[in-house]
Amino acid sequence: MVWTGYRRDQLVGRRFQDLLNIAGKIYYETHFAPLLRMQGFFNEVALDLVSASGSPLPMLVNAVERRDGDGRVRFTRVTVFNASDRRRYERELLEARRAAEKANAELHELNLTLEARIEEAVQDRMKAEEALRQAQKMEAVGQLTGGIAHDFNNLLAGITGSLELLRTRVAQGRIGELERYIIAAQGASKRAATLTHRLLAFSRRQALHPRPTDINRLVAGMEDLIRRTMGPNVVVEVVAAGGLWTTLVDTNQFENALLNLCINARDAMPNGGKLTIETGNRWLDERAAQDRDLPAGQYASLCVSDTGSGMPPEVIERAFDPFFTTKPIGQGTGLGLSTIYGFVRQSSGQVRIYSELGQGTTMCLYLPRHLGAAEAAEVTEIARRTEAPRAEQGETVLVVDDEPTVRMLVTEVLEELGYTAIEAAAGPAALKVLQSNARIHLLVTDVGLPGGMNGRQLAEAGRAVRPGLKVLFITGYAENAVINHGHLEPGMHMLTKPFAMDTLASRIRGLIRG
Amino acid sequence: MSVSRQHNVNVSGSGSKALIFAHGFGCDQNMWRFVAPAFADCYRIVLFDHMGAGGSDLSAYSPEKYSSLDGYADDVIELCREPEIQGGTFVGHSVSAMIGVLAAKKARDLFDTLVLVGPSPRYIDDDDYVGGFSEGQIHELLEFLDSNHMGWSRAMAPVIMGNPDRPELGEELTNSFCRTDPEIAKRFARTTFLSDNRADLAGVRARSLILQCSEDVIAPPCVGEYVHRAIPGSEFVLLRATGHCPNLSAPEETITAIKAFLSHAA
Repeated sequence: MVWTGYRRDQLVGRRFQDLLNIAGKIYYETHFAPLLRMQGFFNEVALDLVSASGSPLPMLVNAVERRDGDGRVRFTRVTVFNASDRRRYERELLEARRAAEKANAELHELNLTLEARIEEAVQDRMKAEEALRQAQKMEAVGQLTGGIAHDFNNLLAGITGSLELLRTRVAQGRIGELERYIIAAQGASKRAATLTHRLLAFSRRQALHPRPTDINRLVAGMEDLIRRTMGPNVVVEVVAAGGLWTTLVDTNQFENALLNLCINARDAMPNGGKLTIETGNRWLDERAAQDRDLPAGQYASLCVSDTGSGMPPEVIERAFDPFFTTKPIGQGTGLGLSTIYGFVRQSSGQVRIYSELGQGTTMCLYLPRHLGAAEAAEVTEIARRTEAPRAEQGETVLVVDDEPTVRMLVTEVLEELGYTAIEAAAGPAALKVLQSNARIHLLVTDVGLPGGMNGRQLAEAGRAVRPGLKVLFITGYAENAVINHGHLEPGMHMLTKPFAMDTLASRIRGLIRG
Repeated sequence: MSVSRQHNVNVSGSGSKALIFAHGFGCDQNMWRFVAPAFADCYRIVLFDHMGAGGSDLSAYSPEKYSSLDGYADDVIELCREPEIQGGTFVGHSVSAMIGVLAAKKARDLFDTLVLVGPSPRYIDDDDYVGGFSEGQIHELLEFLDSNHMGWSRAMAPVIMGNPDRPELGEELTNSFCRTDPEIAKRFARTTFLSDNRADLAGVRARSLILQCSEDVIAPPCVGEYVHRAIPGSEFVLLRATGHCPNLSAPEETITAIKAFLSHAA
């Protein structure tokens, strides 16, 4: 008992419980003594003994009672173990358990908020992807700008240069030489218009003018041009299906698409080969339609096949991506196929590529059947070339555009033709005019307008007070969503800027008369 | 759940008068296992566990209610109402002696006799009053309970519950002997050792017996004498038994003293 610090004579005559600290004394009397009496022993009870010096001595205590035959207690044997180390371990263990419980509680809390955290992470991810898409789009715009700006500046130089010379010649009184500058400026302007048209088609925001069309007739009209473009080494064969269904397409765009496909085919056959243009009627059942990502039904197809190098799958996969090109730098914009894809999808059709390396490629356009006869395409061309018609007396046109130059030009042209023009720069002002008693035969309005009311909203508000009001939208690009995805109500028409002044006059004339 | 289920009430014996045995801090109704059977042929015996002890329904424990001995006294009254006890004898050990005093005051019809075994109306010394503990010692106890829950609660639980060396005792040990919920035991200690019921003693109307052990660190003889002086008409018996639990260490002497008191009354 050296470790207790007591001498033997100090312990003789004292009970075990007399050496306990106060808490131990109380617990011994209230808990462990009853336990010992009832079950005859207790084991490994942690108690603190007060050492001779007064410091606490952690112990483990075993006790056992021995009784005689009559049940009387003969003696109680108490064994004490020095438990200083063990108590320290226990304290560490308790500390560790508290830490574990705390960590567990934190984990529980984490689990509770896990769903919210996942949602947050997904949101972040989606934001990041959106930002990436925007970045890719900006990169595309950057490439586009790089490719196009140069051409556009050239064209602008041609226009401004011509105008400057025009002014100089007028100042010099050399009026006889004006014609060539006017022709030069107009030519450059037309090419610029074509360029923006292509860009808009690429961005799928170009307004299409779909009309019932006989594709065979378009192909036949293009055949000579295609043959000349292909050169002498490429044999061109046209296989036109008899009784080909009519489709509803924008003829200009269709011709562009056909030409583009043929040029691609030619480029795939640098050493010559055979180009086949084939039309056909296709009845796509559910499965065939699903394969082509189309609704089931009837389609007219146009397939352009070559006997060229073919495309590996990874090229096919990316063939419709904007700016993807396999051609050397400077020889392809990478916009051809993506433009075709945009046009065909906008026409509710589909493009499919079938290609084998070394064998050749077939590109097929599927366009939905239109029930009805095809229109004669030439009519508008003829109308376009006729003299701009003069206005009837008192015919009034309301012109709405926020661009003063456009407003001025349109107004001037209208007045020259004998119309009365009323101008407005924004929707609300124009609506006031429409709600007044003024005689208005036609509303000519830009689609994108300031003042919280776009052209379509203005037209609708106008029709609320003037049912059957005729409307001509003039727009830099067809805001498809704004004008009901390109589907205009009866009596509403669209003209895309830039337009020739006589075209504007004919449209206005036609609308007022119609 | 009925109050008798909540307190694991066991009624046995036969007799017109009821004898209610209440255990103190640190054990359960097993505390009376050597004493109660001696009264079974003449009395209706009622044994129960205080809330938090033995087979009581721990889910009914409320820290607020049991922060004073009144909460325990209310339980006693309620659990005695169910078997319709009137004019019974309440035998309370240790802290239950004071619980019985409080219950008798609150419901005078319940008990006409009180047997207080090792009673203490206040454990902490106060001026001239000697309770046996300094305030510092009681706070040392309470702090120790707070810091040492592995030591004692573990000691109480495993020893009682697991008994691999003597499997024949397993079931009995598992289900008997002083099971206490460690957390509730800590609170019960606080309620018990901070209580002061000296002022309640003078109002006791029941016939009262104080049974005092010769050497008792929890309730020293001077405290038992104080109770005897404070309760009007009370009797005082100093047992030869030592320690705080004569009902366990000297059941025969305890039985004899109680029987003498009860027969004397009759």
